[in-house]
Amino acid sequence: MVKFLSEEWIEIGKKYILEKLDPVKDLKSITTSLLGVVEHIPPDDITMNFYLELEGGKLIHFIVNTGDTFDEKEATYEIRGNYGTYKSVLQGKMSLGIAVLKNRLKVKGSKMQALKLIKPLDGVIVSLKEITDEFED
Amino acid sequence: MSKDELLTTKKSDLQEAVKIAEKGTHCGMCKIDFLGSGVCPAGKKHGFAAYWPEGRMEIVKALYSDKIKPTEELKRIANSCTVCGICDKQCNFTTHLRPEKVANALKEFVNKLDDKVFEKIPEDKTLQELRSIVGEKWVSNDPAIIVSYTKTIITPDAGVNFYVVMPETTEEVAEIVKYADKYNIPYLPRGNGTLLAMFIETLLAKAVSLEKGIIFDLRRLKKIEIDEDNKIAKIGVGVTAFALQKEAYKHGMRALVAEAEAHVCVNIASVGIISTWGNTYGWGSDNFTDATLVDSKGNIIHHSDEDLTNPYSTNNNFTNLTLTPSTIITEATVKLHPIFEDEEAVLVPFEKLDDALDLALELAKRNIGLSLAVISSKYLSEFICPTNDIAEDFEYIAKNYLKFNFMVDVVCDKYDKKVVEELADVIIDQKMMKTLILGSPRFASLKESEFLKILSEEKNPLKAIFAGPMKDHLEKALDPSPKQIAKVYDEDLQDFFEKVYSKPEMTDVVWLHAFRILPSRLMRQRMFMLRGGYIVADKKKIIELNNMLRTIGDKHKLSNALGFISFLENGKFAFVEYDYYFNHLDPDSHNRLNQAIVETLQMELKIKGLLPIEYVFHKGLFRKEHLFYPMPEGLSDDELKILGEMVQTVVGG
Repeated sequence: MVKFLSEEWIEIGKKYILEKLDPVKDLKSITTSLLGVVEHIPPDDITMNFYLELEGGKLIHFIVNTGDTFDEKEATYEIRGNYGTYKSVLQGKMSLGIAVLKNRLKVKGSKMQALKLIKPLDGVIVSLKEITDEFED
Repeated sequence: MSKDELLTTKKSDLQEAVKIAEKGTHCGMCKIDFLGSGVCPAGKKHGFAAYWPEGRMEIVKALYSDKIKPTEELKRIANSCTVCGICDKQCNFTTHLRPEKVANALKEFVNKLDDKVFEKIPEDKTLQELRSIVGEKWVSNDPAIIVSYTKTIITPDAGVNFYVVMPETTEEVAEIVKYADKYNIPYLPRGNGTLLAMFIETLLAKAVSLEKGIIFDLRRLKKIEIDEDNKIAKIGVGVTAFALQKEAYKHGMRALVAEAEAHVCVNIASVGIISTWGNTYGWGSDNFTDATLVDSKGNIIHHSDEDLTNPYSTNNNFTNLTLTPSTIITEATVKLHPIFEDEEAVLVPFEKLDDALDLALELAKRNIGLSLAVISSKYLSEFICPTNDIAEDFEYIAKNYLKFNFMVDVVCDKYDKKVVEELADVIIDQKMMKTLILGSPRFASLKESEFLKILSEEKNPLKAIFAGPMKDHLEKALDPSPKQIAKVYDEDLQDFFEKVYSKPEMTDVVWLHAFRILPSRLMRQRMFMLRGGYIVADKKKIIELNNMLRTIGDKHKLSNALGFISFLENGKFAFVEYDYYFNHLDPDSHNRLNQAIVETLQMELKIKGLLPIEYVFHKGLFRKEHLFYPMPEGLSDDELKILGEMVQTVVGG
């Protein structure tokens, strides 16, 4: 188990997605990219983001950065929320769908397309749940 | 004896109070002075829900089920009740309950306990920070305070890990939001909680409620400033529909408001104010000229800010679903409308919805009627009858003997009245409505009457009873008087209710439409869930929607009926409310309701030109032009499947 948003988290996350998630069955062969922006990370109240790109259900990029933008790639979707919300989602206390409906996670991009991604992305979230149990208080 | 043993021994005294409390449904009417009796003095002074009758009901249930232990705050709450009896009068009118027994039982229970039983709840950093913003009195983390918000913003299984804060200004709201955002603390604002109370009983509970964090109780922002020259009112978010309407009427004007207990600003922002007066006054965004909001970062936004990107804009497709607000509305400047001296209510009864819609659509298209709706006999019965049993018999007679299932309900001036009279076969005028209101118990008692059975065999029983020679006989037979209707109440309340029903407004149908004090009777010791939404005002589509909702309600063995159909935009759009009634104490009833909600939503989403009510949530600040033009296409089966998967993650999460 590793700390959310750490380099180890990215590495193990990549490995987990590649090895454990079937591109067709679990990830529905989706091609998309998303930027997850995590605000108000304790203890120093910083913002970080992670960029995730899938092509035909295969993981192409999974990168973590500081700040609220990622200049190297332009994501199809941006999902923005505070650390507490991401923590709840990754701890399985709140589903991705409910976080969006509650306005805790704000989605930028085509909402109809985003809707189609909810189910496969839930699979990614489930996998990230498996590798993360350390959070800042 | 240990603390717990001591508590268990004393708790049995709460049994009777718990039985009453369980029947409560959080209609919120105890917080407004709708009968001229005043309101609960403790609630008025201390503000938190715990100090109001509905809050004490939740506290008693929580104590009895061991959800909370006695605290020092609980002792203060229990002893703040002056046993004045106001709550009994108000609650009896609406729900036929006697909440004073609950308050009394709580007081007796608490005062029998040894002082060592009461816990002091420790302070923490968040509590201190919130106190520094709003003052010590207006924030609490005490479980007795927290638990009183159960079912009106938190679910029964949510625990008590919350803070309740009652800010007085927009600036205080903004400071709290900034703090919550910085420290990742979830929060949710609340008006009177009535709409939330309805949705928390359903499978959408998790999506609409707060799981932990800060509850904003916005009652203290209750500024009302009437600007008579400009015909507007500046109001804080704590102002109820009843309070605004009362103030507007003092100045000879009327506001578009929802049910009496609803907070006007909250209602504008949540569902845009659904009202029969929409025929003339429009909906939420047609009725405010400025609004003040606090965004998720704690910034204060005024709709009148020059540099604000169009705040009235939204998209109208099915991905635009949000079940909690993204901003907190704290103030609005609302339009006030003229009142005419010749206003009158005219009701046109029909056996068939088809015929009622023909008349209503004709009137709506020609903009006739300040207030216009088709309402069902179920609605009429529930609203005007003082108890559920009387309402049931009243409706039975209306449907089975008089063939009176629907009525076109018009508030009009003398010019519009002429048109309605010309188009209608039979009308029920203000005088007859007064007869039916005051005579409702006696009318209901005619269920086995041979006279009515014979009358039902007439070719047109409606005409015979409301327009023929029988009209005078009916008026005499019902003996409609305040004294007569007061007899259905408990003996000690009869004098009070005789006085209440002697007030002209209690039988003035225009006043009742404007102040909306009767709809909360739909929550009389049971709950209901509304289905339907905005639909293009096409008769065939409306009837198909009505029939589909009835079929699914019947399939799941839910008592169900059309509520009302109102109109917008010169009869281009209609709002259809169809209601499923259920026993909120019966888990099986909840299961059947939830299945019916899923099935109806799936069917509704396939209908072209229908925006289900769920898709109107938190859209009231937007222009209806953005929401309704064009009305959405129905979803294909593939799209519906995707949406179903998303709903599954929501329900499962």
